[in-house]
Amino acid sequence: MATYLVSVLNGLAMGSLLFAIALGLSLVFGMMDVLNLAHGAVYLVGAYVAVALVADGGSLAVFVLAVLAAAAAGAVLGGGLAALTRAVPHHLDQALLTLGVALVVAELLSLAFGNEVHSIAAPAAVAGSVTVAGETYPVYRLLVIGFGTVLAVAVYVLVERSQLGSLIRATVADRPMVSALGINTGRVLVGVFGAGAALAAVAGVLAGPILGAQPGLDERVLLLALVVVVIGGLGSVRGALLGALVIGQVQAVGTALLPEYASFLVFAAMALVLLLRPAGLLPAAGTAVRA
Amino acid sequence: MGVLSAISRLPRPTQAATVLAVVALALAGCGGSSLDQSGGGQSGGEIKIGLLLPQSGVYAPLGQEMRAGFQLYLDQQGGKLGGRAVKVVTADEGGGPQTGVPAGQKLVTQDQVNAVVGVVNSATALGLRDFFDESKKLLVVANAGADAITGARKSDYIWRTSFSNGIVAATLGPAVAKEVKGKVYLIAPDYAAGREMAAGFRKSFEAAGGEVAGEKFTPFGTTQDFQPYLSAIRGSGAKAVWTFYSGAEAVSFVKQYKEFGLAGKTPLYAPGFLTEGGVLAAQGQAAIKVKTSLHYSTELDNPKNKEFVAAYRAKVGKPPTVFSVQAYDAAAVLDKALAKASGTGGPELVKALGGVGTIDSPRGQWSFSADHNVRQQYYLREVKSSGGTFVNAIVGELG
Repeated sequence: MATYLVSVLNGLAMGSLLFAIALGLSLVFGMMDVLNLAHGAVYLVGAYVAVALVADGGSLAVFVLAVLAAAAAGAVLGGGLAALTRAVPHHLDQALLTLGVALVVAELLSLAFGNEVHSIAAPAAVAGSVTVAGETYPVYRLLVIGFGTVLAVAVYVLVERSQLGSLIRATVADRPMVSALGINTGRVLVGVFGAGAALAAVAGVLAGPILGAQPGLDERVLLLALVVVVIGGLGSVRGALLGALVIGQVQAVGTALLPEYASFLVFAAMALVLLLRPAGLLPAAGTAVRA
Repeated sequence: MGVLSAISRLPRPTQAATVLAVVALALAGCGGSSLDQSGGGQSGGEIKIGLLLPQSGVYAPLGQEMRAGFQLYLDQQGGKLGGRAVKVVTADEGGGPQTGVPAGQKLVTQDQVNAVVGVVNSATALGLRDFFDESKKLLVVANAGADAITGARKSDYIWRTSFSNGIVAATLGPAVAKEVKGKVYLIAPDYAAGREMAAGFRKSFEAAGGEVAGEKFTPFGTTQDFQPYLSAIRGSGAKAVWTFYSGAEAVSFVKQYKEFGLAGKTPLYAPGFLTEGGVLAAQGQAAIKVKTSLHYSTELDNPKNKEFVAAYRAKVGKPPTVFSVQAYDAAAVLDKALAKASGTGGPELVKALGGVGTIDSPRGQWSFSADHNVRQQYYLREVKSSGGTFVNAIVGELG
């Protein structure tokens, strides 16, 4: 029983990271109708920021600095991608364009950092392990769960309870109408794109001590994020959260229960959701029809 | 394919997304290039050697190390092998047979090389087997470990200077059976090499009286979080763990083995690829005390190795790895064979290779077996910290 408790905990940690990664992808797709395949590359940029600044396990302050640096880099990349994709209305064109950007970014990273596997140490203060239900568990992963909780609450308050949030939701639901009210929707879109990308880059730093950094990680992360978005429903914060939690638990508890089927579990979960709820578990109200 | 059927059920925009994500995954393994490079001098005619090594994809670091090893031998011989000036043609093996096989064929048909050296991936080596066998060209496999390459699908034209999976894993079996008082848990990635390694270890381990507590195969290349497996290992009450991972998975596994409190309590054994080269640097402190079996370590105490390590460090700026030695030795056997060969065609080279005898290598002395595999000494190594860096210290010899 204790074994599964630790797996549940671990699923929460992975779910927290997946939420941070998938949120931007979901909002950008739901809101701007932009398919951003460079999202994984943005995550990888964050991971390599961590390699450059905190690979050997610096102090907490340096780690926070790395998070901020990654957020800035992510926001810049996101802004650039928003500008690029603005002129391309079709999904296939967007996919090719952002895929091209992703390949270029990944190649530049591999030129700068080499093709080796880099591991990133957790900040010295939280690098140890504690005993949870009789099993050893890394402190750092508990902090990641804490971060996920704070992020979920913060995003909920921002999107569902603030005026800026109502503007974002209105833009998702009916962009021409918001435009007609005299609001520059382009700016809202660029802002959301930048914030989503910044969050993905931050997740790259935070996931560093768990997943490290190496070429190819961007694709695996992108695929997981796409699954989360499909399960949760496009353009919805709650959907992204639910999808991330589901996939986190499927990966951790599912693997513990059914190790023989570990490689299919995530996709089996996706297939099941699509059979029962083709629009995802919690799609954004306005996009349910489109999605 | 679970993925494909899942995709076909997605709503249309998402279908596009997922199909393209899969395309993205496929694309990342592709891409090729070729660089020409001439050796100096002219005596006894020029010979063209094709280097088939990954320059892209997950195996790219191995490709770099093997290339450096091959080049080092060539430089030490003044750019000649067996008295002939060497022209090296490289091709990108990429991440698997879909790129490696055409690249290997191109070296022979288009670049008209006399022999091909390299091949990291076993599927690529087996995919090229019939082509080399039928076109009567020499292929010197300097890494790929599948047992079949020099076993069920052996060929007159394929020789190996590296190792075979079954043997490198099996040498550790009796040692673990002797050192561990209790059952041992086996965990390995779910692909051909992982299964061959596990089967090889299990056979010799059980023959030596060892008992297996459990056996798990993890999805290959996609497992990032080993916690569910590590919890299962703890639950099994195993006294030690045998594993086989390499590259990114080796780093994650060894680090998480420590984070989840198994290191120090449950000894970890593996074929040496778990802690070789750049992987060990990334594992750092977490790898201390991991014991592995392999046919090389930078710490081997013989004059040839000391000289090799110093020369390699001076040239590359990093310590060599087992992969560099395998390619270095591939150049060495070609050197010996070319000195004797009556010509540079495949059949002449193969005949000469049969008579190269014992090779004095940084890994110690070795020779070719009847089926063109390597007959060599395996060593028991333990990760130790030495002056701020981590090394695989030699703690014994394996049968």
